[in-house]
Amino acid sequence: MSAVPDADAPRLGVGPGTVVVVIGLVFLSPFVYVLWRNVDLGADVGEIIWDANTLHPLRRSLSLASTVALSSVVVGTGLAWLTIRTDLPGRRIWRVLAPLPLVFPSFVGATALLAGFASGGLVEELLGPLGIDTLPSVRGYRGAWLVLTLFTYPYVYLPVAARLSALPPSLEESARILGRSPWSVFRTVVLPQTSPAIWAGALLVFLYAVSDFGAVALLGYDTLTEQIYADRLFNQPRAMGLSLVLGCVALVVVMMERSLDRRRQQIEVSRARASLLVGLGRWKPVAWITVASFFVAALIGPVAVLGFWTWRGLTADVETVGLSTDLGALTGPIVNSAQAGLLTAAVAVAVVLPVAWAAARHRSRLAGAANAMVVAGFALPGVVIALSLVFWAIDTPLISAWYQTLPLLVVAYVLHFGAQATRAARVAVDATPRRMSDVAATLGASRTRRFFSVELPLMLPGLLAGAGLVMLSTMKELPATLLLAPIGFDTLATEIWNAGDAGALAQSSLASLVLVALSAVLTWAVVLRRIDNY
Amino acid sequence: MLSTFRLRSGLLALALLVSACGAGEATGDDGGTITVYSGRSEDLIGPLLEAFTAETGIEVEARFGDSAELALLIQTEGESSPADVFISQSPGALGLLAGEGRLAPLDAGLTSMVGPGFSASDGTWVGITGRIRVVVYNADLVDTADLPDSVLDLTDPAYAGRVAVAPSNGSFQDFVTAMRNELGDDATRAWLEGMARNGAPNYPKNSAIVEAVGRGEVDMGLVNHYYNLRALEADPSVASVNHFLPADDLGALVIVTGGAVLGSSESPGAAGQLLEWLLGEAAQSTFAAQTQEYPLRTGVAGPAGVPSLDGLAVDTIDYSLLGDGLTGTIELIRASGIEQ
Repeated sequence: MSAVPDADAPRLGVGPGTVVVVIGLVFLSPFVYVLWRNVDLGADVGEIIWDANTLHPLRRSLSLASTVALSSVVVGTGLAWLTIRTDLPGRRIWRVLAPLPLVFPSFVGATALLAGFASGGLVEELLGPLGIDTLPSVRGYRGAWLVLTLFTYPYVYLPVAARLSALPPSLEESARILGRSPWSVFRTVVLPQTSPAIWAGALLVFLYAVSDFGAVALLGYDTLTEQIYADRLFNQPRAMGLSLVLGCVALVVVMMERSLDRRRQQIEVSRARASLLVGLGRWKPVAWITVASFFVAALIGPVAVLGFWTWRGLTADVETVGLSTDLGALTGPIVNSAQAGLLTAAVAVAVVLPVAWAAARHRSRLAGAANAMVVAGFALPGVVIALSLVFWAIDTPLISAWYQTLPLLVVAYVLHFGAQATRAARVAVDATPRRMSDVAATLGASRTRRFFSVELPLMLPGLLAGAGLVMLSTMKELPATLLLAPIGFDTLATEIWNAGDAGALAQSSLASLVLVALSAVLTWAVVLRRIDNY
Repeated sequence: MLSTFRLRSGLLALALLVSACGAGEATGDDGGTITVYSGRSEDLIGPLLEAFTAETGIEVEARFGDSAELALLIQTEGESSPADVFISQSPGALGLLAGEGRLAPLDAGLTSMVGPGFSASDGTWVGITGRIRVVVYNADLVDTADLPDSVLDLTDPAYAGRVAVAPSNGSFQDFVTAMRNELGDDATRAWLEGMARNGAPNYPKNSAIVEAVGRGEVDMGLVNHYYNLRALEADPSVASVNHFLPADDLGALVIVTGGAVLGSSESPGAAGQLLEWLLGEAAQSTFAAQTQEYPLRTGVAGPAGVPSLDGLAVDTIDYSLLGDGLTGTIELIRASGIEQ
């Protein structure tokens, strides 16, 4: 076992400590802004909270987030195990497809789902001849839960898959030799070893579901984010007060999760041999059908709806300006989205790694606090983070030159999505053995050399999983991009929004499809190709 | 493996960083440059901005976004805001900025280009185009005899569950504010509570309502006129149809898209020129022909297939006169229970 007991943890040096403090402060800045705005606007937070118009949406936000987290854990873990650890037919393809639903902006996914499955939609038209007249309603809680689960399970899938592919088979083989059934092995050996990855993913799903606006608004489920949106301009005290509530909810959840995380001893990763595969036997057809139908709902369905709308636009004879369907207009946005996504992913991992390292290896409380700030930033609305950066940057002497440039936009993305990299980094650091590094030290390797040639390669699968999540989230981000991007820096997400706002449904769908394709290519190239045993 | 990985990632990172630093540089300025924050999307107004540059040589750097969020941006940026012109789809956002003293009063010559009531009473913003509120309905599910003659009829139990609204949408909020102005707070509250009692289904945006009506998920909805025109272009067989209310009814409200020059602008002359150009006959005719919006310049013909602008109710409330302006409207909407 390689986790560091508290008593043995070396103290964090002044240099690394300063780095951690600075990073923590940067991630704290949006919260400080929200607090300041509350004070400046004279918001009576108590009165805002203890009001039925706040408590009911808050309760709805929390219950939706909890159930979505639960279902995402079940789906994500199950899929990860089926595609990595069993002999499921076509599992190499499923592994590439599995993270993809994350690329759909939630409002795009919800629109496609509604168009497909809501009353009067495409599926009803298809099933009409079969005698099925009406489908169960997808609006409200049920639809919100379904859409959010389908499009956020990759937050659980990616870290769990990375962990499963890196676990050494020795413990499982021993358990099998001792006579345990595959299910028992899964329950008592595999599950405990992947539980940090599962908790990390569940936390991200919870925070995302609490902060999501696009899907829940479209499906008619009134949550706290809906209230903030309605009040954002004309009742700013209340909007800021509710943002503070969201931030506090996030901090509470993060701290709860940390306290559960305390004493887990982790088996270190090994790259020696391929993992143990479980034979599905007679369950193979059932498993395959389950997985396939799941992907039809989560990926193929929405893509088909978007494709149908695009095709309709391409074959229509349209005179009105703004309704033409034009792939050429998307080349700039494709480059910009890819650039923003890759840059943010690299910066995010580089920024959260010191914090995760200090928290894991040195058990530093400072790092733990900085870590909490990083994660909680995920629940704040994108608009709030953007406005906080405007506030901090616009009149500050050195920073104002960077206002409305790409670097500042990347900072906004990192503040918003850093959480996704930090949990993966923490899991990766926790699982890296110290003894190899110690051996390298006795052989005379310097600290830097040990890090780059011993520890980094072992952490790479986990780090890349986190980087992949950040990249996907960045490419579909909308509100902060609209406010902070350099003028003329159009991304695929802003194109989707612009076209949709003008009523150009076909162009909006085409941009969505291009986003899915780009995300798939980048995910494969940056993440999947480099994860060993994947 | 790792050293080539490091080499490649290092080169990639370097390339990204270099291009990132270059991404924010301004382009050359021959006739000057103005920055526009537009709540009207790029597809709708972008070509006109390019035509303005072609004609006058003034470069336009345009940021497109949601009107309310752009107003928030201008507010947060304060006096250092790079924006010269703000175009908003809702007079509410303009009224808010005017109330905070951020907008420069426009030339009387400019505001007189549009009809009375289509610009701010203190001259801080001028209407450019208009959209009219309509009742969109599904022709397969609704008999034309059932269609209302006034928006106030919709609280009748006969319409229970049949009329969709978008309570968080700017146009709906503007409509309720106009109702407060015309009929008073009590009558407005009664109407909102009546709609709530009728269980009006909620949607987040006008386009969502039109899409749902087209599918038959809901019978009718309160939206702006041109959404269905777009839907018909995308799919001529769609079942949704616009029903225009009588000209003297409050339901036939014209929502104004307005433009303003920021007080903190460093190029107020060029900014004013843009607004003047958008109110010019060429631009106004383009609005009518291409995007089916009402041109507000007096004397320019409206789009085909919609009622004429004369005699229609107009949403040009001086929001400062209403005191708490849209805050009060939003509170009224929330208190009524219409947002289920």
